[in-house]
Amino acid sequence: MAHDLAQNTVDGLMTGSAYAMLALGFTLIFGVMRRLNLSYGPSIMIGAYLGTLVHLQFGMGAAVVALVTVLGAVAAGFYVERLCFAPMRGQAATASMVASFAIWMQLEELATLLLPRHSYPFPALIARPPFEIAGILIRADRLLTLGAAIAAMLALWLLVHRSRFGLALRATARDRATARHLGIDVDRIGLIAFLGASALGGLAGMLVIAADQQITPMFGMWATFKGLVAMMLGGLGSIPGAVIGGLLLGVVEAHGQWFFGPQLRDLLVYALLFLCLVLRAGIGAGVPSAERRI
Amino acid sequence: MLDVRDVVTAYGKIEALKGVTLSVAEGRITCLLGPNGAGKTTLMYSIAGILKPRRGRIALKDREITGRAPDQVVQAGVALVPENRLVFPQMSVRENLTAGAYLRRDRAGIAADMERMFQRFPRLKEREGQLAGTLSGGEQQMLSVARALMSRPRLLLMDEPSLGLAPLVVEEIFRIVTELNRDGTTIFLVEQNAHMALKVAHHFYLMEQGRVSFSGTPGEVEEAEVIQRAYLGSRRAD
Amino acid sequence: MEPHLVGVLTNIGMIAFVALSAYLLLLVGEISFGQQAFFGIGAYAAGIGTAVLDLPLGLALAIGAIAAAIGQLALALPTFRLRGLYFAMASLAFAEMMRIVLELTQFQVERDGELVGPNGAEGFRGIRYIFERGIEPAEFLLLVAALLAATLALLAVLERSRFGRRLRMVGEDELLAALSGIDVFRTKLAMAAAAGALAGLGGGLYAHASTYIEPRLFDVMLGVHSLAYGLIGGLGTALGPLLGVGLDIGLLESTQMFAGYRMIVFGGLVAVLLIWRPRGLLDERLLHRLARIGRR
Repeated sequence: MAHDLAQNTVDGLMTGSAYAMLALGFTLIFGVMRRLNLSYGPSIMIGAYLGTLVHLQFGMGAAVVALVTVLGAVAAGFYVERLCFAPMRGQAATASMVASFAIWMQLEELATLLLPRHSYPFPALIARPPFEIAGILIRADRLLTLGAAIAAMLALWLLVHRSRFGLALRATARDRATARHLGIDVDRIGLIAFLGASALGGLAGMLVIAADQQITPMFGMWATFKGLVAMMLGGLGSIPGAVIGGLLLGVVEAHGQWFFGPQLRDLLVYALLFLCLVLRAGIGAGVPSAERRI
Repeated sequence: MLDVRDVVTAYGKIEALKGVTLSVAEGRITCLLGPNGAGKTTLMYSIAGILKPRRGRIALKDREITGRAPDQVVQAGVALVPENRLVFPQMSVRENLTAGAYLRRDRAGIAADMERMFQRFPRLKEREGQLAGTLSGGEQQMLSVARALMSRPRLLLMDEPSLGLAPLVVEEIFRIVTELNRDGTTIFLVEQNAHMALKVAHHFYLMEQGRVSFSGTPGEVEEAEVIQRAYLGSRRAD
Repeated sequence: MEPHLVGVLTNIGMIAFVALSAYLLLLVGEISFGQQAFFGIGAYAAGIGTAVLDLPLGLALAIGAIAAAIGQLALALPTFRLRGLYFAMASLAFAEMMRIVLELTQFQVERDGELVGPNGAEGFRGIRYIFERGIEPAEFLLLVAALLAATLALLAVLERSRFGRRLRMVGEDELLAALSGIDVFRTKLAMAAAAGALAGLGGGLYAHASTYIEPRLFDVMLGVHSLAYGLIGGLGTALGPLLGVGLDIGLLESTQMFAGYRMIVFGGLVAVLLIWRPRGLLDERLLHRLARIGRR
């Protein structure tokens, strides 16, 4: 029992680190744009499809496929930003979101046009059997995911808090109008944040898909969902929050899967998410002395 | 007319109002000065019922309105012209005015008041059927005032009515404030433009960091060094 | 009428109900990713009504609508003070929970030597009311169209009423609406009940038209589509969502236009449309202009 708990927790943290990266990408976009990019996962999926295409057509190895995947995700992200976010300013946040959903449908169909079968093989990054530490099984490629996630988080944190660009980014996230008055090109900041998020998502997606060794068009929806849920669990809009949300989601899922099976696992996750969201409202609405906002 | 006693309003753990006490005399124009972040808007929202005070008491003519819902506060005779969020943008000018009179059921009275608003703000009459979102900043401010007046308030709260407007428009707003007051409306005004406010208001309060730090007549304001330095020495750039 | 056309029109009519329910919530400023749940609740409740409990169709549809309205209120009460994305995510979490609960629900009884009723993820077979009664597809289409027309007429009356004005005020600016004397929370709750009932009614009709439903049908794709229909067709009138459904299902899905790359064309068109008109084809500005022309 104790062993199961430990093994589940380790597995959960490893999967959760991929969720954390997806959530970081979402947070970056939402923080700067105050808008939801539903096409986030599908952009990553398109990157992975291009990677697979390179693999199948030209027999490229894992490193090239990984690079193509990340670059493909960035290219798709660029397309989504230009079409759904850059031209819609002001109050049109819902329009941006719905447009990004329309592009999701577009990207999914594009993927099935590129490669029409339901699933395709994706080259593994590390093909070696799992090893054991203190009785806990660890897969090398999952460990790589965890390492990449930690590196990405540190890099992002340094970028946001220690660089000139990070300052402009934070100013834009806090108050767009004021940032503009300070001479910050908020539109350019938005685009760069968007592309950075796509690269981060591409990296996360590539690691997940390489560990699964297969890709399907459903991956887009999966990535959007996991990233969104992790971001909301962590409390929307902060880097540590996204990381904690991702890890929490991974651990809860791992235990849920082990003890209750897949259906109840999902039920548990959504119940947890719902509770987190409602309790935050409760702090404002339930306590008599607290702020009441219309 | 309005009595605010020891009001504390908090956002989570942060107290934006740390025990505010002030009063607004009937038939007068009272002006609230203070730097950004002093809690002026929080006080306006607390009076209007948008925010619920944690402690303290707000009374309108001896009738307690503390913590009442906004619709009940409107019913009691208070109308707020909020800062920035001025009009319903996708509604016409006329519809905005009708919206202001939402709680009233006297059709004839509403129609008469509407005509009165159009006399007072002739430019709104010209734009009667236009969507409010297409009006200029000054026109939206006029419409916002007119919308608030449509509820026939005994007390009109105005949160920085001159913010971001051209000097000529600001003068017009203040002319209207004086006229409204002459016609019997009590006015409680938040303003950063102390020069303009000195020309119209009868009493002043200064708020800093969630507390009232000064109270006095226009004459006393001109004497007070603290206000001299912050508000009258040089006109603020905004 | 040609059977294919009857089927398409029936489909448009039924999906229009769930699109309208998402639109009603948009009117009061709430974005829901979860209207599929209430479509599903309506479908299951109405299906159980006729197939398991042997109730008449009208009563079963009413039960479906009421059950969905109650479900929507149960979601709205704890979540309507949440703003924007928080509400959208809460509605999504609620809908996914609902779907999983349906996957776990077993409620079968024997009828004519055969098991009918919800059977978990296997779905709910044998909602054969309209076939057993010999109701023709065209007749059923007539029922759907009549209910939809009645709903649209009701909404048109509502738009012109005092309550309609209240809705518009809340939708445009909650704070300003409250300052004008409106009880914002109660207005939104009333709207939630109406939105739930409409989605439930659509679901009830859907269950009977297809005789078979399964939890998978009520996933987030249906919800986001419902939301998108309003934004495509336009938020200025209740005809907007109907137009959105008509364009998608009627024009593209059913005519096999652009077969094979339909979503590439449609997705791109929607994105471009939203740049041009962020509030859809029939938006407030267009209607305002039409109304002024009409008055002249």
